[in-house]
Amino acid sequence: MESCKERLIRFLFPAQSGNWLTILRIGLGLQVLLYALSLKRDWIYLFAGTGEGLNGRALSEGLLSTESPVVPRLGWLVTLGSHVGLSEWAVLSVTWWFLLCAACGLLAGFFSRSSAIIAWFLHLCAAKSGGLVSYGVDNFMTIGLFYLMLSPLPDRYSLDQKLRKLKTKDRQLLGFFRRVLQIHLCLIYFFSGLTKSLGSGWWDGLNMWRALARPPFNVLDPAFVIRWHYLLPFIGISIFAIEITYPVFIWPSQTRGIWLALIVSMHLAIGAFMGMYLFAMIMIILNLAAFGTTLNWPVNRIGIHHSVSPNDNSSSHSILSRLGVNC
Amino acid sequence: MRPKPLLLACFLLHFLIIVIISCRQTLWLVGHGLTMLPPAFKDYSERAETVVSDALAQNLPPSSPIRRALLTYLHIAGIERPYGYFAPNVPVSYKLVFELHYSDGRVEYEVPGGNTAAADLRLAALLDEIGRTRVDALREYLVKLLARSTWREHPDVEAMRAILGSRNLPSIDEFERGTRESYEFLYAYDFSLEKESSRLESP
Repeated sequence: MESCKERLIRFLFPAQSGNWLTILRIGLGLQVLLYALSLKRDWIYLFAGTGEGLNGRALSEGLLSTESPVVPRLGWLVTLGSHVGLSEWAVLSVTWWFLLCAACGLLAGFFSRSSAIIAWFLHLCAAKSGGLVSYGVDNFMTIGLFYLMLSPLPDRYSLDQKLRKLKTKDRQLLGFFRRVLQIHLCLIYFFSGLTKSLGSGWWDGLNMWRALARPPFNVLDPAFVIRWHYLLPFIGISIFAIEITYPVFIWPSQTRGIWLALIVSMHLAIGAFMGMYLFAMIMIILNLAAFGTTLNWPVNRIGIHHSVSPNDNSSSHSILSRLGVNC
Repeated sequence: MRPKPLLLACFLLHFLIIVIISCRQTLWLVGHGLTMLPPAFKDYSERAETVVSDALAQNLPPSSPIRRALLTYLHIAGIERPYGYFAPNVPVSYKLVFELHYSDGRVEYEVPGGNTAAADLRLAALLDEIGRTRVDALREYLVKLLARSTWREHPDVEAMRAILGSRNLPSIDEFERGTRESYEFLYAYDFSLEKESSRLESP
């Protein structure tokens, strides 16, 4: 009889193709690109420690130092730059450009690993030095970039494989990092749903109203929201119900597509109706990378898998799913 | 590939930490009576939260290498925060208004903001921090940060008053009856070129 440990290892190390990693790499490349572009005009204002900035960096970095002196921060780069005669403004500008280049590197899959490490490092520096002005999107970007950096890059659709002939050798390692992302998402949604379900406002629709009417998330006219107020309790309950049950229904092939569609719709609505575009985008990217490639997309049904090796678990997933077997 | 046992151990540790952090937040919310669970759960949750915090090395001194190593890992992996966004309830939001006094007696009002919607979302997080903190010195410091940057944009301002208030959103029924958003005054700070700042009023 198979021991628990062996079953766990078999579950955690399935041999998989790199399709999910391609989605994660391109998605995070796009995310970092939009993150950098969206903050271009405020980059110096938000992160400068002197002169023309908000000057919040000193406090954020000071608080960070009480927790750990070795977490990356922009102050390190500014100090380093000052040794070679660069001003703070110049260092921050160069940092922004490097972040943009790393995003482009990720998008193209050119020097994928280096691009992922640079993007993770520079984004982490900005997120930590701008701790006072950070919110959920920074956490999820750090999580995504951290996993991407550790994953077995390059993936098969990257320029690294096409031009530099670099190959991903270990499919089990690809499967392992995908499992890590999948399980992390399950925990995120379960605890997010659980804590919401403990608040009365998510049951009676009050929290939906507050979330939609609270600046700066009040993209919709409150009068419009009120017109549909009888739906708010239903939407509030649906949100935490979808989140809590995500770890249950995202795994079986019969319900995976529905739950993925529900969760993606929820994030699209957050982006459109609350103005949190970057937050919505990172969550959709993480979800699609984790579970999107195991769906029965129409393209799979018309036989695109002829070039996939027998060890490719994404095609196995697809075939087994069609036979009604859970992966 | 890297040895499976090593990856397995890292995996277990990584997710154990994530579960502990998330449980701690849930227990904290219950322990502080912020959920709709009956009060009987409070004591149990407070005790459980203490145990969970110990598991995260929170009882160790700040200089402890174990604590620092753990916190470093949490930050670089992006797992230092729990996932209870807008939970258990959507929190109150805050508004900061600067009253700008010019030498010719003119008075203008300005709300701090960035150049883009993305920056405004981030400044909203800062305003929440300003409104929520119970540390007066920290609140004053943060208001001063925003005051300085506003002053830079209006160099001819002679004095400035920062007024912080919480936004009171009407309930759905109240909104239907015509009630609109109101503000509850919390703090005011006066700034002038000569001296740094002085807090004038508080509730």
